[in-house]
Amino acid sequence: MAGSTILIARRSIRARIGRTIAIVFAVLAGVSFVSGSFVLADSLKSSIDGFIAELVQNTDLVVRAERVFEQDDFQGDSGREPIPIEIADDVREVAGIDVVEPDIQRNASVLEADGTVITTTGPQFGVVWDGESLAGVTLKEGRKPSGAGELVLDKATADREGFALGDTVGYVTDVDTYEATLVGTIGTEDTDSLFGATIVALDLPTALEHYGADGRVDAINLSVVDDDELSTVKAAVQEAVPDGIEVIDRDEFIAETQDSIGQFIDIFQTGLLVFAFVTAFVAAFIINNVFQITIGQRLRELALLRAIGANARQVRRLIATEALGIGVIGTAIGIFGGIGVARLIIGLFNAVGAGFPPTGTVLALRTVIVATVVGIGVTMLSVLIPARRAAKIPPVAALQPEIGFQAMRTRRLTVGVVMATIGLAAFLVGMFVQPGGGLGLAVFGGGGVLLLFLGVTSLTSTFATPVTRWLGWPVAKFFKTPGKLARDNVARAPRRTSSSAAALMIGVALVSAAAVFASSLRNTLVATLDEVVQSDYIIQGAQDGTTFPTAVTDAIGDLPEIEAAMPIQLAFAEVDGDVRGFAAIDPAAATQMINVDLREGDIENLADNAIAVHTESAEDLDLQLGDTLAATFSNGSTLDVEVAAIFGDNSFGFNWYLGLDTLAEVTDAPDANVFGFAKLADGVTPEVGDEAVRQVMVGFPQAQAQSNADFIQDQEDQINQVLLVITMLLAFAILIAVLGISITLALGVFERTREIGLLRAVGMNRRQTRRSVRWEAVIVSVFGSLIGIVLGTFLGIVLSVAVPDNVISELAFSPGIIVAILVGAVLAGLIAAVYPSTKASRMNILEAIATE
Amino acid sequence: MNTDLAPPVPSSPPTAAAGAIDATKIYGLGDAEVRALDGVTVSFETGKFTAIMGPSGSGKSTLLHCLAGLDVLTSGATYVGDTYLAALDDRQLTELRRTKVGFVFQAFNLIPTLTADENIRLPMMLGGETGDTQWIGQVIDTVGLSDRLHHHPSELSGGQQQRVAVARALASRPDIIFADEPTGNLDSTTGAEILDFMRRAVREFGQTIVMVTHDPNAASYADRVVFVADGKIDGELMEPTTDAIFERMKHLGH
Repeated sequence: MAGSTILIARRSIRARIGRTIAIVFAVLAGVSFVSGSFVLADSLKSSIDGFIAELVQNTDLVVRAERVFEQDDFQGDSGREPIPIEIADDVREVAGIDVVEPDIQRNASVLEADGTVITTTGPQFGVVWDGESLAGVTLKEGRKPSGAGELVLDKATADREGFALGDTVGYVTDVDTYEATLVGTIGTEDTDSLFGATIVALDLPTALEHYGADGRVDAINLSVVDDDELSTVKAAVQEAVPDGIEVIDRDEFIAETQDSIGQFIDIFQTGLLVFAFVTAFVAAFIINNVFQITIGQRLRELALLRAIGANARQVRRLIATEALGIGVIGTAIGIFGGIGVARLIIGLFNAVGAGFPPTGTVLALRTVIVATVVGIGVTMLSVLIPARRAAKIPPVAALQPEIGFQAMRTRRLTVGVVMATIGLAAFLVGMFVQPGGGLGLAVFGGGGVLLLFLGVTSLTSTFATPVTRWLGWPVAKFFKTPGKLARDNVARAPRRTSSSAAALMIGVALVSAAAVFASSLRNTLVATLDEVVQSDYIIQGAQDGTTFPTAVTDAIGDLPEIEAAMPIQLAFAEVDGDVRGFAAIDPAAATQMINVDLREGDIENLADNAIAVHTESAEDLDLQLGDTLAATFSNGSTLDVEVAAIFGDNSFGFNWYLGLDTLAEVTDAPDANVFGFAKLADGVTPEVGDEAVRQVMVGFPQAQAQSNADFIQDQEDQINQVLLVITMLLAFAILIAVLGISITLALGVFERTREIGLLRAVGMNRRQTRRSVRWEAVIVSVFGSLIGIVLGTFLGIVLSVAVPDNVISELAFSPGIIVAILVGAVLAGLIAAVYPSTKASRMNILEAIATE
Repeated sequence: MNTDLAPPVPSSPPTAAAGAIDATKIYGLGDAEVRALDGVTVSFETGKFTAIMGPSGSGKSTLLHCLAGLDVLTSGATYVGDTYLAALDDRQLTELRRTKVGFVFQAFNLIPTLTADENIRLPMMLGGETGDTQWIGQVIDTVGLSDRLHHHPSELSGGQQQRVAVARALASRPDIIFADEPTGNLDSTTGAEILDFMRRAVREFGQTIVMVTHDPNAASYADRVVFVADGKIDGELMEPTTDAIFERMKHLGH
């Protein structure tokens, strides 16, 4: 019994090679994306894990400040206070300690001969290096630096910039500009650079002074004489250091570092998997559609099987076996295709400046299992309905094919409305209620969208005929008979039209939703800068997440063209059980620079432990003006702060403000600012101001000052880049959708062989035949795209409304993107039509007419 | 109508391989109602070659479909051997078609992706059996297809395809073979070959065959011709000749 099913299935897979290839490709694309996401994440993790382990292989113990509270993990180690360098002397006394190597990393940039900062793709740092290699640093040439007049650089930078040993090299730090003699170059054991960064390395005393480290280092790395004594020595070191300092061993340090980097990779992987599942979902549509159509075409064959004695189960199993066979081929290729996809994604992200390190390839068993489940699962789910349909073909259809699917009309309107409604409700619940937090958001939001897509697809078939007739009107008008035929052919198979359009709809909907979200994000930003920011320049660290010293804002503020400039420091403090980010400001300057929409109290005098609270946070904690709260800062000191003001605007993400003076009182935090604002003096034109600011910024490579317009442009570029990446990641899904339209059309052409033969016989030429099929494809793809745009715009609006107002408060649409999508849809249709239209036009007229 | 009644005891002699009792089949509703079969009672003798004749729309094909369990009656009963088809569910009907009944259709008799040999063995394969190898070999020899066994249907001529279809119908030694215009798509010489072969199957192997046709010449190969007009049995001829059938056809329905 099984034998005959398998035999027929095998033959059918081979005989319907076009269909087989199309489905294999759809499965393969979905599977390789899933597999690629895992391969990429695993490979990154493994190479980074290896790298970390190698880097700290000589370090046995790390001494550093304890964290007062667990902070948002993405802050990395930035929340950890530096520790006094004297601790190095204390631990050096501990028996069993071999090497003591203080670790410090601060802003420092190398200068060219003309005093400007060298341009690099990677970050630029200053470190301390006294010739030890606990942190994985190896001397490449020359010797270690000694004293204020000497430095070493990473060999890659020295080579690239043409510095030779003995040359004088300028460098600039948060404190000042210096010159020193290049006495050596460093790298890691295997490479000439340290993670691609440009490194200035000084000896300890010079480093502490030139970096403005204030006698403190980030951590102290230790090695022990005897590895067996590690735990004893660790305990002894812990004894020797003051309270608030912790000692961890190598394994803990490696695990911790791997974890924190692993988290980023996990998030990245999850993001990719979302796109991978979208691709698999679209693939399911195509597989379903193709099987649905081929079963229609094999009606007589299947009915014949039933007539001569195959039972319903055997027919169902036959279809399932065919699908399984194709699914297995697609999955097998797809799993390995994942390796290629991983490379492709790295290339894509590197092209937009992500800077992934080169990695090996890790194909884990888990990857194979998940990819197999997805590939086979998607294929089998897709043929669930077609297989049932096939089993219901009555045997008499072998003699009277028109009897075929008589009794099989499903209630698509009801089913569609029910699915779409439930999907929509789930999506809204996910977005606005978020039951169970992030997981609820993902399950309800994602599941809701999926169901919504299915429901809309079902519904689409109920209005596909009138809408495509309307859409096809210009085609029929312009291309006369072939155009009219194209329009009629789309309209006469509404179910088929809607399912091949649906695949495209999904991709387009997601792009449209992202576009609405991005435009809204941008407009909110513009509005914020218009309404909230009253200054003219925004100052930030030179790289993402880096800081700059107050000297920068001071220098800008000193310019005659500038009325005032102010820095913002970020401090974390535990208030009422949660860690809150405080923006430390100069209150007097702040009122000129940002309009925080003061509701109550007075923000100009944020002195003496006074703080300002955003109205929502105040509500959450039930705070009134004059209330006092205990705040524990990251160095452990506690301060009772008093609510002096309540404000209404947090578009810059700050819900809590306090005075810089207050912060300086409680913590001895380094002079590191995250943000700054500067305002032009009265009567100074932007051109004059820009030039003045530009000139003063030459001396501060660790920071960048942008006019509001440039800042917006910069942010917009970043948003657009993300949008581009999203579109690229959806390219797979869109590609499958186009392939789906193509194969659906090819099957349609095959079905209409006789009809096309007849048309050709009565005088339609090849060109007209091609044209008719071509515009049929265009109408289908434009139809799918239109629904996608409508649905996606709606999803984008909901998404934009759902995110907090300080992220998005303005809705916006991008007509440019809509036009681009429609142009793309026409192109997609034209591409999809290449194969089927050629096939239709090359048909032999006599054979076509003779076809049964 | 007697839909709700238990099927009557067959009045036919025990030699009947299949038959219908007061069989009625109505398509459509109201004004569109068509009585394809209108109280047909007929039986087909074992070991005989019977032709059912009638003009298009007479109900002859519907009768064949209902006899073969491919279609369901509105009322009345059909039986194959001692089995009433109305009492069977889909699974049992399938089993009956696979083991007790053979089919030869006018066209599209073969699964296009399978070879001639595989098509012949298909009913047995579906049942998970190998069948009677010796018998199948004999059938194939008789049909004269030994050298075309590994060809696909598209590589065979129309006559060869029908021969494969007949061989398939014979291969499982069914109680009865139903043939629906088996020569309708063939030229007269090829058609004659097929009909001759079917007659030999009846004479030499004792096979029972019921064939629907509208071609008097084809019907003349049968032992008996049953005439159908307007959904009713309209007489029969034993040991017919082409001329006698022609003559009878002229007066059909009158």
